[in-house]
Amino acid sequence: MSDQEPAIGIDLGTTNSVVATVRDGVPRVIPNRAGQALTPSIVAVAKNGKKLVGALAKRQAITNAENTVFAAKRLIGRRWGSKEVEDARRVLPYPLVAGPEGNDVRVQLAGHTYAIPEISAMVLSELKADAEAWFGRPISRAVITVPAYFNDGQRHATKDAGRIAGLEVLRIINEPTSAALAYGFGKQVERKVVVFDLGGGTFDISILDIGKSVYDVVAVGGDTYLGGEDFDRRIIDWLTFGFAKENGGVDLREDKMALQRLKDSAERAKIELSGTSTAAIHLPFLVGGGEGKPALHLDRQIGREKLEELTRDLVDRCIAVTERTLKDAGVRPAQVGEVILVGGMTRMPRVQKAVKDFFAREPCRGVHPEEVVALGAAIQAHALTAPQSGAEVLLLDVTPQNLGIMVVGGYFQTIIPRNTTVPTSETHLFTTVQDNQTAVRIAVLQGASERAVDNELLGEFVLGGIRPARRGEVEIEVTFEISADGIVGVSARDVVTGQQQSITVTATSGLTEEEMKRILDERVDELLEKKQSTQEYELRKDRVGPVLAEIEGLRPAVQEALERTRFGKDAVQKAEGVLARVRQAMDAHDSAALAELEEALERTLQLFKGLAEAGRGQGPGRGDG
Amino acid sequence: MIDVAALIDQGIKAYVSGRVGEALRSFQEVLEKDPGNPRARSYLLLLHGGATGAVPEVAPVPLPAPDGKGKAASPEGRVPLPGPEGKHPAPAAAPAGEGFAPSPWDEGPAAVATFVLDPDGGLDLQAVADKSDLRPLVPDGSPPPPVQASARKEVDVWMQAAKELFALGDFTGSLELIEKILQVDPDHGNARDYLRQNESTLIAMYESKLGPLVGVPRLAIKPEEVMWLNLDHRAGFLLAQIDGTVDYEALFALSGLPRLDTARILANLIADGVITS
Repeated sequence: MSDQEPAIGIDLGTTNSVVATVRDGVPRVIPNRAGQALTPSIVAVAKNGKKLVGALAKRQAITNAENTVFAAKRLIGRRWGSKEVEDARRVLPYPLVAGPEGNDVRVQLAGHTYAIPEISAMVLSELKADAEAWFGRPISRAVITVPAYFNDGQRHATKDAGRIAGLEVLRIINEPTSAALAYGFGKQVERKVVVFDLGGGTFDISILDIGKSVYDVVAVGGDTYLGGEDFDRRIIDWLTFGFAKENGGVDLREDKMALQRLKDSAERAKIELSGTSTAAIHLPFLVGGGEGKPALHLDRQIGREKLEELTRDLVDRCIAVTERTLKDAGVRPAQVGEVILVGGMTRMPRVQKAVKDFFAREPCRGVHPEEVVALGAAIQAHALTAPQSGAEVLLLDVTPQNLGIMVVGGYFQTIIPRNTTVPTSETHLFTTVQDNQTAVRIAVLQGASERAVDNELLGEFVLGGIRPARRGEVEIEVTFEISADGIVGVSARDVVTGQQQSITVTATSGLTEEEMKRILDERVDELLEKKQSTQEYELRKDRVGPVLAEIEGLRPAVQEALERTRFGKDAVQKAEGVLARVRQAMDAHDSAALAELEEALERTLQLFKGLAEAGRGQGPGRGDG
Repeated sequence: MIDVAALIDQGIKAYVSGRVGEALRSFQEVLEKDPGNPRARSYLLLLHGGATGAVPEVAPVPLPAPDGKGKAASPEGRVPLPGPEGKHPAPAAAPAGEGFAPSPWDEGPAAVATFVLDPDGGLDLQAVADKSDLRPLVPDGSPPPPVQASARKEVDVWMQAAKELFALGDFTGSLELIEKILQVDPDHGNARDYLRQNESTLIAMYESKLGPLVGVPRLAIKPEEVMWLNLDHRAGFLLAQIDGTVDYEALFALSGLPRLDTARILANLIADGVITS
C-alpha cells in the first residue's frame, strides 16, 4: 500500500450516507464500525444525554422524535422562509428557527441551536471515523456528492459541513454524474444516460449527456417527498389496521415504542420482499394489553403481491415524474442509451419492472444501487489525489447552474451557462430600453428558468450616470467573472462614459466567517478535551487498578472472616456497591466518576484489610448492629 | 438456619411488597431469637402503627423485661398497639428503657395508620392511597401542594424505614419508600438525597450483573421462544433492540427509559436466561 493518505468519496444522502474509496485500483465501500455499508443520516441526543449518529439514532427516532434530526439535507443551504423550508417545517418533528441574520435555517436539538452544516458535519464525522477505523490512519480528504439541482449556496454549505467535520473537500460533484462514473461511462462512446434515483426520502430523475469526459446534466426532475419511507408507511398502516381489528381497536401508532418497532420491522420486511415472496413480521410484547392484562403480540405475514398492491400508486408516481421530465427535456425514452438505478428502493422488483417497461430496456446492473454514488465519488477522489493512476475521468470544477441577469420583460438572460469550467469570465453587451434612460438595474440571478422570478436572486445593483440618449443607443457592458474559489464578480460599464458599477457575490451556507471560526475552535477544544480526558482516565486507571487488584486479593480472607462472624456484613455490602460503581466507571472510561470514587475505594481497601486481619487471627467479632 | 439479619431482611422485603402477614412472622421470629432486637421491634411498631380498628391479630411477642431477660413487657405479652380510635399510647405507657428499646417512634406519637390489609393478607394499595392522601407528582414549575400534618408524620416514618432499608442493603425497598415520600412531599431534601443514593447504588448493582457495558448482549433462547416469556411491552421493546450489534451502553441510550429501569430490565433478562453477554 502506498504511503500517500487515501482519499474518500462520500454520498451524503437525505436518508442514508455511504463512504467509499479506491484501494489497489478497485473502488469499494467502506463498512461502518457496525459492519454496514449504509449509515443513516440521522443525528440525535438520546434521553440519557448521549449524542447518537447513524443506526443508533435511527433506532430511537420515533421514541425520541423531538431530539432526533433527520433529512437535514432538505434544509442545507436553504433560506429561511423559502418554500422548501416551509414544506419541511410542516413534516419535520424537530424545531426549526431562523439564523441570527434571519436568512438561514437553524435546528434546535437538546437545548442547543445548530446550523444545518453542523448537523451534516456530525454525519460526515461519523463516516470519516469509519474510514479511519478501516484504514487505521487519519483521513482528511474527500469528494462529496450533492443532487444536481443544488445551487451554489447549498454546495457551499455542504463544503462547510465537510470543513467542520475536519475534511478538506476536494470537490463537490453531482450525484447522477457520480453514478455514471461508477459505471465507467464517459470513457469512450457518447450517449444519453438516465439516472433513476429512488432513495429513502426523495426521488430524482436526471438526464445526462455523457461523452469524452464531459458529464452534462441536461435535465433534472423529481419529487422531493417520495421515497422508501412512503413505502414503509404503507406497510405500517396495513399492520396497524389489521392489529386494531384483531385487538379491539388498539392503535399501535399511539404508542411510540410500538411504532418504532413497527417502522423497523416494516422496513426490514420491505427489503426482504425484494428477494423473497413472503416476509414474516413477528413482534412479541409489542404493546401493553391494558390494566392487569399481558402485553400483546403482533404476528403477520406479508407477501410481495400485497406490498405491490399497497404501493402501486407510489411506483406510478415515479414513472409519471420520469415521463414528465423526459418530455420537458425533449427526450424520448427510445433515445436513452442507458438507465442507471440508484437508491435502495430500486431493488424492489416492481420498481425495476416499471422502469424497464417505460424505457423498453433493461436498466444497468452490476453496481449496488445504494453504493453506486459513493463509489463514483471515490473514483473521483482517487483521480484527484493520485493522478498518476491515469485511468479515471477527472471532472473539472464547473458552475452548477446558469448565471445571468434579468432583462426586459422579466426574462432571465444567461451569461455563464451551467457546467462551465471555473475560473471563467464572460462579457455581454446590453442596451437601454427607454429614451434618455440614465440608470439601469442589474439583478444577478442563477437558475434554469427563463423567467427571472423563478430563479434565485444572488444580488443586485444600480448603474447610474448613463449619458442621455435614445433607447438602444447606449451600450452597457456586463461582465461576469468566477474565481477558482467560486466567487462571482459582476460589473456593468457604460462603454462610452466609462461609468462603472460592480458587485461581488459569494455563495454562503448561512454561517458567517466568525461563526465558522467559533465552530472550528469548538471542535479543536472538543478534540483536546477528549485527549485530555483520555489521559486523565489512563492516570486514574493506573492508580485505581492496583487498589482493585489488592481488594480482589483480599476477598478470600474477607469471605472467610464473614463466615465466622457477622461483623462488617453491612459494610461489605455497601463496599460491593462502591466496587460495582468503580468497575462501571472503568468500563465507561469515565475519569470524573473514578475521581469521585477514589476515596471510597481507598476506604473499601482499608475495610477489606481490617476484615481479613480479623479473619486471620482475632476470631469472631461482635454482632451485626 | 436463618440468622437474625437475614430474617429482618426477609421481613422488610415482605413488608415492602405488601405481604404484611409474612413480615409480621419474620419480625416475631427475630424477637424470639433476639428479644431485644431494636430493628425488629421498630418494624413491628411500624406495622401496627395506629391501625384504626382493623388491627391484625398477631402472635404473642416476647419482649424483654427491663432486666433484659426476655420477660414480656405487657400483661398481655403483646406489642402495645394503639386503641381503636387510632389514639396512641402515651409515651409514659411505653417509655424507652422500660421494655422498649429506643426508637425514633418513641419520640412522639406514632404515625397515623395507613396500612390496610386486604382479605388475602396483602397490602391494599388503593386503601393506602386513599387514607394516606397520596398525590401524584406535579410537573416542574407548579408549586407543590402543601403537605398536611398527618402526611408529614407518615413521611417521617417512611423516611426512617427507608434509611434502615438502605442500611440493610435493600435498596429497592428503600427506593420504593422514598418514591412514596416524594409523591407526598416532592421537595423533601433528605428523600431526594436517598433517592440519588438508592438509584446510583441500584444502577451499579444491576449493571454489575451485565458485565462490561461495552459488551454486546445476545439472545440466549430461540427467537420463537420469546413469546412464551412473561414480559411487559417495555422489556419487549428492549429485547427487540438486542440483535447482536448494539452494546449495553447503546441500549441505555436508545431505550428512552430511565437508566435504572433499563438496567433492571436487562439484569432480569440475564437472570432469567433470556439474554447473555
